[in-house]
Amino acid sequence: MDTPAQTKRFLDAVLFREIWKAMKVTFKHMLHRPMTFQYPREKRTIPDAHRGALGLLRYDNGQERCVGCDLCEVACPSRCIKVISEEDKSLPLQRYASEFYIDITKCVFCGYCVEACPVNALAMTKMYEYSTHDKRTLLFDKERLYDIGEQHLEDAKKYLYAHNQEDDDEESRAYRYHFPQPIGKTEAPDS
Amino acid sequence: MALKPVTTPDTEAATISLSIDGETVTAKEGVSLYDVISSMGKIVPAMCYHYTFDPFGSCGMCLVLQEGKKSPVRSCTAKATEGMVIRTDGDDLFAARKKAVEKHLSVHPLDCPVCDADGHCELQDMAFEHQVTDLANAKQKHIPEDTRSLVLDFNMNRCIACGECINICKDVQRIDALQFMKKGGFTQVVAKGDHALDCEFCGDCLAVCPVGAITNKFSKYVYKPWQLRKTTTTCNYCGDGCQMYVETKDTEVVRVTSPLSWKNKWGDRVDTINGHSGLCVRGRFGFQFIDSKDRLKEPLIRKETGLVPTPWIEALDTTAERLAHVKSRYGSEAIAGLMTARCTNEELYVFQRFMRTVLGTNNLDSSARYGHMNFVRAVHHALGINRMMNTSADITKAKAILVVGANVTETNPVASLRVKAAIGTYKASAIVVDSMQTNLAKLASHPAMVKPGTEGTFVKGLVKSVLEQDLIDPDLASQDPQALAALKAAAHTISLETVAEETGVPVEMIQEAARVFAEAPRSVIVCGEGILRQHDGYDHTLSLIDLAWVTGKLNKPGCGINTFAEEGNEQGAVDMGVAPEFLPGPEAYEQATARQKFSEAWGSTLPDAQAGKSLVEILEDCRTGKIKALYVVGENPLATLPKSFGVEEALSQLELLICQDPFMTETAQHAHVVFPACTFAEKDGTVTNQEGMVQFVRPALDPLGESALDWHIMVGLANGMGHALPYETTQDIQAEIRRLLPGYYNLGQPRPVAPDPTAYLRNGYAESVDARYGVRGRTQESGRPYGLKLIQLIYHSGKLSTKASGLMDISPNTGALRMSLEECERLGIAEGGRVRVTSDQGSLELGVQADVNMLPGTCAFPEHFNDPPVKDLVRVVVDPVTRVPYFKSTQVTIEKL
Amino acid sequence: MAHLEDQRETIYKVDPAHPETRDLPILRTEELLLNMGPQHPATHGVLKVILDLEGERITKSTVVMGFLHRGVEKLAEHGTYHQFIPHTDRLDYVCAMYNNFAYCRAVEKLMNVTVPERAEYLRTIVAEIQRIIGHLFWLGTQALDIGAMTVFFYTFRDREILLDWFDELCGARLTTSWYRIGGVERDLTASLETKIRDFLAYFPPKIDEYVVFLEKNRIWLARTVGVAVISAEDALGYGLSGPTLRGSGVDYDLRKYESYGAYPKCEFSVPVGKNGDTYDRYWIRIEEMRESIKIIRQCMDQMPKEGPVMADVPSVTLPPKNRVFTNLESMIQQFKLFSQGFDAPPGEIYCGTEAHKGELGFYIVSTGGGNPYRLKIRSPSFIHMGAFDFMAKGYMIADAVTIFGSYDIVMGECDR
Repeated sequence: MDTPAQTKRFLDAVLFREIWKAMKVTFKHMLHRPMTFQYPREKRTIPDAHRGALGLLRYDNGQERCVGCDLCEVACPSRCIKVISEEDKSLPLQRYASEFYIDITKCVFCGYCVEACPVNALAMTKMYEYSTHDKRTLLFDKERLYDIGEQHLEDAKKYLYAHNQEDDDEESRAYRYHFPQPIGKTEAPDS
Repeated sequence: MALKPVTTPDTEAATISLSIDGETVTAKEGVSLYDVISSMGKIVPAMCYHYTFDPFGSCGMCLVLQEGKKSPVRSCTAKATEGMVIRTDGDDLFAARKKAVEKHLSVHPLDCPVCDADGHCELQDMAFEHQVTDLANAKQKHIPEDTRSLVLDFNMNRCIACGECINICKDVQRIDALQFMKKGGFTQVVAKGDHALDCEFCGDCLAVCPVGAITNKFSKYVYKPWQLRKTTTTCNYCGDGCQMYVETKDTEVVRVTSPLSWKNKWGDRVDTINGHSGLCVRGRFGFQFIDSKDRLKEPLIRKETGLVPTPWIEALDTTAERLAHVKSRYGSEAIAGLMTARCTNEELYVFQRFMRTVLGTNNLDSSARYGHMNFVRAVHHALGINRMMNTSADITKAKAILVVGANVTETNPVASLRVKAAIGTYKASAIVVDSMQTNLAKLASHPAMVKPGTEGTFVKGLVKSVLEQDLIDPDLASQDPQALAALKAAAHTISLETVAEETGVPVEMIQEAARVFAEAPRSVIVCGEGILRQHDGYDHTLSLIDLAWVTGKLNKPGCGINTFAEEGNEQGAVDMGVAPEFLPGPEAYEQATARQKFSEAWGSTLPDAQAGKSLVEILEDCRTGKIKALYVVGENPLATLPKSFGVEEALSQLELLICQDPFMTETAQHAHVVFPACTFAEKDGTVTNQEGMVQFVRPALDPLGESALDWHIMVGLANGMGHALPYETTQDIQAEIRRLLPGYYNLGQPRPVAPDPTAYLRNGYAESVDARYGVRGRTQESGRPYGLKLIQLIYHSGKLSTKASGLMDISPNTGALRMSLEECERLGIAEGGRVRVTSDQGSLELGVQADVNMLPGTCAFPEHFNDPPVKDLVRVVVDPVTRVPYFKSTQVTIEKL
Repeated sequence: MAHLEDQRETIYKVDPAHPETRDLPILRTEELLLNMGPQHPATHGVLKVILDLEGERITKSTVVMGFLHRGVEKLAEHGTYHQFIPHTDRLDYVCAMYNNFAYCRAVEKLMNVTVPERAEYLRTIVAEIQRIIGHLFWLGTQALDIGAMTVFFYTFRDREILLDWFDELCGARLTTSWYRIGGVERDLTASLETKIRDFLAYFPPKIDEYVVFLEKNRIWLARTVGVAVISAEDALGYGLSGPTLRGSGVDYDLRKYESYGAYPKCEFSVPVGKNGDTYDRYWIRIEEMRESIKIIRQCMDQMPKEGPVMADVPSVTLPPKNRVFTNLESMIQQFKLFSQGFDAPPGEIYCGTEAHKGELGFYIVSTGGGNPYRLKIRSPSFIHMGAFDFMAKGYMIADAVTIFGSYDIVMGECDR
């Protein structure tokens, strides 16, 4: 090893040069805008694709979209959905979910239920603030899920578009599914 | 094979060989090519095929290529012939099959989400398997759904016109309730004549429907197949012992399905001689009682305020204490027990052991006493056997079937299909003797409609006719000349003319029936409640044995005498010794060696041979105060026996009445203690069907509420009385039964019975036969022209089915007397009119409904209902030998109101 | 009392050569058994290590695992193949994308599904981003464990940026479930594409920044150079893989050997160490980040601009949702795949993938039907912990943290 290099090493060691170098980087960052933000006051913008709390949706005319087909239940990897279906008492021969539960404590927010739903009755929203002191309130029932769907309808729609679940045009939203009609009603329903 | 069986019991088809996918296969000539392929283990898709009926050939999926033919052929309708060269696989065939699926899909509605068949749908499977995508020109039919029927909904949008429903109804059930009809431009399945479907509702069409075109109203929209847990168990309604799947979701029963299904379509049609694995209306739609709201959920003890819910431990303690008190104060003889045969073998066994060893009494009986015991006692006495002689295969293959007083299509619908198959598929002659126009009578070659209560007389007429026409088995003269002579002498006392007059059947008819029966190579007798539950049932059963014996049909293969048990596990109740005259086995109670064996096994002395009272005597002794405590398990004598028998008085005399039942029965309302029991769907054990097959009952649900297994309660009581029974699990009981009755658990393959009449014929036969054939007037209440019968409906079984809401929807209590149309017209009763029915026991006002099955001079009321209490019009007559109470028929007068 | 006398005897042993020590107590030496974890901040989860110490030196270490056992392999047997993807998120929970990737590759191999070209590029890009995230996470925590706190803040700052993209891409930052059997769930958005391109310029200087903190730092060097040395032979013998193996000078990288995804179409080098010590493993990870940037840049350039991101195999892949509403056959496909899954051919396959920790392999035994008969996960963390006793022997107690830190263990993957 030649002398200048040795001298440099010696000086480096004595003067703690690598520390000064690192301190330079650190001091540079002191002039930076903070990376953090103050959460409850400031909130991050959440992307449309975000997989937040689930909500149930209605058609524009107010009819529940869910037909109680249980496909979300079977698609769920954590088995947190429970659908109880039956014939709608007010609309003969229409199947609907009389009860619908999502145990949000078990939910892994994978979005499979939305992917599975053949009528796009489910969507994920940007809602994430539902912490509670009482775990029992985290069993979301049908009413609460429809509430979430109503309050976050725009987010839910954006979610469906973002994940290619629905196209953002009128045609794809057309209600294509026909319930069977009782035999008393002879004319075919206008599609 | 799906084609009509080429190999019948009489002829054997020629063997041919053909090549399938390069493999040489041998087959019987004339069978369907499809069956030959499937017998190799290759599965060619087919949606309209099911092995139980003739191939229909509508779906166009089972295409195969035959060498020498340009286009693929449908293998189901093609017959296998010698030298065929067949290819079943290949891209061209795949494409052709895919086209066939596309054809069905293009008119199918987009309603998988709401369809009940989704996930259990052959069209889905086929579409997925053949990777159908992007269908051009798909359109929907928009046919309204037919929901008029009580049980089944027909959604013809989903129908693929495979015709399986129509074919199974026609070929297997022989009901023919469905048909194709061109309607609104589409071929649709409708009930005959496009009315609301009103049939037996066996639901086989539902089971074989490969799509969701036929759906079950009772579980419509409430499930998807993947949510259900399937438990294979044995149906509890009748003695057929059908296997079924109880499908549950959490704690409720959603539906019941059968092994018969489109998923289970490959088989040999010859196999159907052992049953088609379907169910009847009761099994399939009568499941609601299992999780009924009326179920008892906790033990009740009578206090000042009535029956009060009590914790188990207190209830058991109190009851055990009171039983011990009765035992010490009045002796064991003052205690008696009744049990329903619907319980499992293990429970029946524990019950009789509990009664005999812990309580020390032989006063115990089961519901088999109501009729089945007549048969068992008769064949036990005469032939040394304890159950029916033939298997269902024997019955199907019979050449002549004598059905006496057995409305088996109503009481045992699935077993009756064997008789129907014998008549329809194998062209057997059937002699149906009944006082009603039963379904079998309509199919039979020799329907003999007798006057009410004269079925037994007709049998004697047959014996007489056999002797007269010399149709006697030639071997008899050498084997048992004395017995034959005695029978001939006894038969001298009756003449065919008297029989004809009494029964209302012409002499020629009797003669011909006797000829048909005696000359057929394989003749079987099926007798039922018309014999066993009517006056002199025991004697008449012996006459049937005479008939079989004298025509040589006792020991020949494929011949025999049979009965179908009306209640589940009646045979098991007899086998487990729940009767004062039997020990488990069944071995005769009076036999000292048998008593010795069991008393050693149980480490306890058994009551004396003379002790022991049967059902009727127990109730009589209750009334006179000799019996102080009665333990009733699942039985309901108060609702079963007529009022004139005084059951209510008898029960009110008791110091302790313990009722153990899933429901609050009429008897339980009088009880001091009520224990909540489980239904069969919560039990683990075995039952024995009428053929002697021991079959599993598996728990589909946990016991409801605090209800407990029957044997658990008995063991609890035994412990409370300081006499522990060594059982912790059902397996413990089974191990004991296995040790004491080796070979009883036969895995559904009962040992054939070997009837041996020798001892019977050589010891005292002459006297008994003389007495039986002696002139005896009809037990007829004078001056009352109508025969009133308490009949069974196909939709019900005992009282249990009245707790099943589905069956009550299908067949509610109309409260009306059933009479023939002619009779209604003659009396001038319009539909919905009312009449007064009077018997010697009293009189009753009730409505009338016309019933095409009734004969003039008879009227009937379903025995399942007590409102109005028609049963109270009947007087109980007790059989002198078997102590069977007869209360199913009487003579009445009918006045129009 | 006799017992006490015995004790006194041993403690106050008199050395005959030095009678003056008669009244002085002689210090007794004995082995110390130290339980480290499971609640220890440096164990990266709930790992427990029982250390036999002689003074401060480790003579033997026993690794106790299973505190985070969730039966993931068993869970796989009870769901469809598709349903297992979210469970893989929770194996190595800081790098979910790579687990998804490894699993999907295994199932694709079983089902013989070819992924469309654009999807292959997307998968590679996201996998490399995930590798950067993984290495940043490792770097930050390793430095923190050793005592350098500053680096942690800088690496996590950049990691946050990347995680937010994941949120934008698939809706979740950590539990991504973005990969699908036969492709990916969703295409890149235009904004994400721009962001990635910007990042390619932004990130390399940042790597230099981290290096400034550590490379010459004398404490860092003292704690890493020559610590936990393992020779190439031993490393192979213990089944090590990834940077841990390459640190010992073995040039083994599945991205090169198996050439999956878009890797064969990219030029990149595999950094290989010489000494097999902790410092080399650190250096390899730094270099790999630089290589990842290269790979991403090439992929972005080569990737077809248009094209499907899901294979179209009706018997395996889900139909596009808009077809489900209108076509019966797609509806049927949807129902069959979700309720019963696809029918896998009977057989068994193993498929390894180079995750940033090492070789992550899925071994699937299928007997036909919709769910695997058995699924085994070869997780690098678990295999690496097998070498811990060997590598820690003779080192100081404080080095234990450095050693298992240098494997980059995550207990979610280790215990499964």
